[in-house]
Amino acid sequence: MGEFLRALAIPSTWRMAVRNVFRNGRRTAIVVTAIAIGLGGLLVAMAVNYGMIVQMVDIAIESELGHVQIHGAGWAAKPGIEVRLPDAGVREVLEDDLAGLEAWAPRIRSEGLASSTRGNVGVTLVAIDPEREATVTTLADSVVSGAYFGEGRRRAVIGVRLANRLHVEVGDKIVVATQDIAGDMVGEAFRVAGLFESVSMGLEERTVFVKLGDGRRMLGFDQEVSEFVLVATRDEDAAALRTAVESRTAKGLEVKGWWDLRPLLQYMVDAMSQMAWTVYAAIFIAMAFGIANVLLMSVYERTREIGILSAIGMKPGRLVATLLVESLCLTALGVAAGLAIGFGGVELLADGIDLSRWSEGLTSFGVPSTIIPVLPDGEWKIPVVVALVTAILASLWPALRAVRTRPADAVRHV
Amino acid sequence: MLEAIDITKTYETRGVETKALRGVSLAVADGEFTALAGPSGSGKTTLLNLFGALDTPTAGKILLDGQDLGELDATALADLRLAKLGFVFQAYNLIPVLSARENVEFVMELQGVPVADRHRRAHAVLDQVGLADMAEKRPLEMSGGQQQRVAVARAIVSEPRIVLADEPTANLDSKTAAQLLGIMQRMNREQGVTFLFSTHDPMVIDLARRVVRLHDGEIASDERRE
Repeated sequence: MGEFLRALAIPSTWRMAVRNVFRNGRRTAIVVTAIAIGLGGLLVAMAVNYGMIVQMVDIAIESELGHVQIHGAGWAAKPGIEVRLPDAGVREVLEDDLAGLEAWAPRIRSEGLASSTRGNVGVTLVAIDPEREATVTTLADSVVSGAYFGEGRRRAVIGVRLANRLHVEVGDKIVVATQDIAGDMVGEAFRVAGLFESVSMGLEERTVFVKLGDGRRMLGFDQEVSEFVLVATRDEDAAALRTAVESRTAKGLEVKGWWDLRPLLQYMVDAMSQMAWTVYAAIFIAMAFGIANVLLMSVYERTREIGILSAIGMKPGRLVATLLVESLCLTALGVAAGLAIGFGGVELLADGIDLSRWSEGLTSFGVPSTIIPVLPDGEWKIPVVVALVTAILASLWPALRAVRTRPADAVRHV
Repeated sequence: MLEAIDITKTYETRGVETKALRGVSLAVADGEFTALAGPSGSGKTTLLNLFGALDTPTAGKILLDGQDLGELDATALADLRLAKLGFVFQAYNLIPVLSARENVEFVMELQGVPVADRHRRAHAVLDQVGLADMAEKRPLEMSGGQQQRVAVARAIVSEPRIVLADEPTANLDSKTAAQLLGIMQRMNREQGVTFLFSTHDPMVIDLARRVVRLHDGEIASDERRE
């Protein structure tokens, strides 16, 4: 081991290794290309996968969920207007200087039926504070026709898909029927103020947004709401924010992160990550065999030369070090080319990969129609380190095989 | 002093045993210029490899200055080869990615000789074998004879006590072979380097001061000349 480490510090070990790398140009080109394509492809695949996951989560958070939501006790078991939150107590906590909190908004939710003269659709009635809602979701920016509520009472903002199903346009009236807190059926007419588009099919097709005051009056709420939606300063602050809110609000309130509220989304994120790592592992195994095969061939072809090195007094440790350094240099070339392909590929795809041909099916899963690849911070280092470690491990076998060959047999080898 | 004591070497290939040496005993004293001669398969290369610690005997002992080589591990044997032995093989002796000078310097580098000293000695030895102007050429840019001369330079640059040469003239024309043997003879005379050849080249046998003939793995004759 001592000889091996000493050999690594000797310039001629590296000089010989580098010269051996370029000794057989064609073979070097093949290995470098294989590593480069493997690693480059892996990085692009990683970026697309990560980009898609980030966008899916972002879409869910920005379109409706927020990072954290606060509900009254029992909401998870039976969400509905029976479970309400006193506005004042929670609002005080949120208006206090809460670390990691970017914005918040109150909402009332109720299931109901939206009707027009030409159809009706089961919907979720969501009563919001338009100004605050604009700070927690992208609803205001998603309005593609008409206005984001505008002045006056009894105005609704609905999705384009819902408008199509109800055959209404901006300015038309719809009637939303639901149950109030007393259990009585109530109905109210709303004028469609604006239409919004969303990559979330469910949101666009089955949600009616009205003003908080209209919702309270219609449903019989006093100064109460169904939920508070909170947005964290950064995605990674969400968990800490949830804990902070939970510790400051009254016991019994349900304070949940987006991962609790949409376990399916969390499951998809986890499943996609696991699937991705399976693919990465398969690529690395293929790459390891490729490197081992080339080195084995390279060592086999040089059996006589290795015998001569041994005969003139090169110790086994230095012989192994020379072969390992050679493998490392070869892999480093491939890794450099792979990084160029990977980062170059991600840069080329910076405008996004258009999946609109399949977007009808994808949006129902919350997948955006255009995926922008993103290489996660620092995570690109993992495949690079794995590639180099793979190269070392793959070269150990032929290197040890070489030093185990008796010099007398090696020098006889032709 | 190199000594082989009752050496037997058996090779096994796919269950078939072949006896390359059968109870050979031979002592080579310092300063000898000795040829191991004999037909192909007589065991001369096998004996040379055993003397050079490149192989181990099936039975018997190889002693170098009284040290039993069978008691040393791979690293100690490498040290011993580096310190005391020089090798010249039949062909393809050199490391192709190193120049003539680098090939010659490589042994000294393994010995830990300082860089400046290495350069000076390498140039001196290449000059001695008539290749000073080829120092920066790589093996593929040199003729077979030039390559063998570099191999001799590499074998002697570390000032080994013994040079083992396995058919060093086998791939050379007679003029180049004579030139190479002249160099080795001069080193033997002037520097006292021991040379042990395995050969069936009559030119080498004629020049040797001692000829040990092997036949079927046994010593058939041991002739000393003055």
